[in-house]
Amino acid sequence: MHLSDRMTGTILMMLGVLAFWGGSRLPAVPGQDVGPAAFPMVIGGGLVLCGALIAIGIGRSFEAPEEAPAEAPPGLAARIGGLAAFLPPVLLIFYVLVAERLGFLPTAAIILLAAALALGAGWRLALGLALAGPLAVHLVFYKLLRVPLPAGVLPAPW
Amino acid sequence: MNAVLEAFGMVATTEVAIAILASAAYGMVIGALPGLTATMATALLVPVTFYLSPIAAIATIITASAMAIFSGDIPGALMRIPGTPASAAYTDEAYALTRKGQAEIALGASLWFSALGGIFGTVALMIMAPALAEMALSFSTFEYFWLSFLGLMCATLVARSSPIKAIAAALLGLLVTCIGIENPGGVPRFTFGFTDLLGGIEVLPALVGVFAVSEIMRAMTAAPPPPIPHRPLGSILGGQWALTRRYQKQMWRGNVVGVLVGALPGAGADMAAWIAYANSKRFSKEPEKFGTGHPEGLVESGAANNSALAGGWVPATLFGIPGDTITAIAIGVLYMKGLNPGPTLFTEKASSMYALYMVFIIANILMIPLGIMMIRASRHVLRAPRAAAMPMILLLCAVGAFAIGNNPFAIVLVAVFGVIGYVMERNGFPVAAMVLGIVMGTMVEQNFVTSLIKSDGDLLPFFERPVSSVLAAMTVAALLWPAFVWLLRRLRRPVPA
Repeated sequence: MHLSDRMTGTILMMLGVLAFWGGSRLPAVPGQDVGPAAFPMVIGGGLVLCGALIAIGIGRSFEAPEEAPAEAPPGLAARIGGLAAFLPPVLLIFYVLVAERLGFLPTAAIILLAAALALGAGWRLALGLALAGPLAVHLVFYKLLRVPLPAGVLPAPW
Repeated sequence: MNAVLEAFGMVATTEVAIAILASAAYGMVIGALPGLTATMATALLVPVTFYLSPIAAIATIITASAMAIFSGDIPGALMRIPGTPASAAYTDEAYALTRKGQAEIALGASLWFSALGGIFGTVALMIMAPALAEMALSFSTFEYFWLSFLGLMCATLVARSSPIKAIAAALLGLLVTCIGIENPGGVPRFTFGFTDLLGGIEVLPALVGVFAVSEIMRAMTAAPPPPIPHRPLGSILGGQWALTRRYQKQMWRGNVVGVLVGALPGAGADMAAWIAYANSKRFSKEPEKFGTGHPEGLVESGAANNSALAGGWVPATLFGIPGDTITAIAIGVLYMKGLNPGPTLFTEKASSMYALYMVFIIANILMIPLGIMMIRASRHVLRAPRAAAMPMILLLCAVGAFAIGNNPFAIVLVAVFGVIGYVMERNGFPVAAMVLGIVMGTMVEQNFVTSLIKSDGDLLPFFERPVSSVLAAMTVAALLWPAFVWLLRRLRRPVPA
């Protein structure tokens, strides 16, 4: 997910304009000049300035030269390239969406299995992890720390 | 004296003892695994600290971070892969020693000088913080505004990246803190109608996302580290006393540099190690030996990164301004446990501060026996497959974020900030600057707006009080420094035709 400086600079400028505009529309505190609008507007202005400087390439000489890209690991990642990096956040969202209905243990097992396989684990390691991992985490967080993890369709044996 | 005894009573409990031992083992393992950083170890600990007494909670953070910074040296010396960024500065040197068959010297020096550096840093914290607290009592919102602003600027100066990108990253962090109703007007700001956003973005899910999830994301596309070769190790502390006597000056210099860099907001152990290593080479009598397996640089930078850890607590406890990313997390825990940072912490909660110092000393002494055990066991620990460790960390991110407030929205935040951190890092934006912005945003805004209200919208009073004018001058200098450096480089090196 490498973007050009011109691209990131433009994105920052747009964000700055939005922050400035959004801030300026906030209601003022009656009888006072300075209210909730001041800070976002200052930040928005700063972002526009920084974005513009980045877009025209100022300050690039300070950046460390980029490291040579590492070779792709075996497994799933090799096949779908850079997109594999986005699997972890996707799995987190998956957890939010299904954990309540499916329960913690099965959801966690699916996440561990998917992540382990994507990182190039063998089936034996991935399955073992998916079986033992959720139980261990559940034991510590549910039993010891009393975090209300959802039971769902498969309640824990304790 | 009473406070000291009281502090001793707070530390000498079974709960604190178990907390220290468990977090020490945890920190050692996480730090030693490449790709898992000390900051990540600390961030994942936070949900657990919810369930501990204040002192035990702080003890876990101090202990785990100290151990992780040391044990990051182990894979660096054995496999030439730094376990944490703080070890990166001298990884090549340590590995060169290993190749010469002196792995035990490299690891021993890391351990011994880490522990000494940590203890020195603690003593410096004990002396510096109360003295500064006296001064901080007379600060008004103007000083606090400049101080926090200066902190943000420092973070952008020390980032090994474009200063403009660093400033942009800090501004992004500040923008994040604008979300919610906690603002001068108490109006919903940038919440887009989501009730979950009304309370603002919580710092901890953001930190877990930036430091843990984005690290896992990077691992998805990077090759796994090679297996570790078997090497018999001799006596680990054997030659260290001779090294201590021989490189005494270097050790002290490393300690002092570490504390100062650590106390600088935003610059932490990794920066301290780089600077100390460079210093060591510059002032050495035999600079030609550097890089070929020469322990001199190891002594200085190994001491620096651990003393930086304690130095980071100076601004954190005094002003609530994090000295590094680890104290950025620790500040959240301090607030949660009713130990709100500020000069009054040293007068009203003096016993807690003494207890904090004691934990630091205990952790650094405990580091030596545990470190020896860890070095001996490293062959087995480092064999733990990354494909098993990373998924478990991911699961812990989800459960840990949920545990903070039993709110699934926190997990969404973790995912979002993971992506933000990953994309920023790939494009040369330092995430540490953004984190500092997130941690300090509310403080910057409060002091900025209060000062503006006090001065009726006039900017002049920001520069009128003596301390605030000095801080303002320093901030402006920090802002203009990169331009100055750039100009200097231009003048020195004629532009090639």
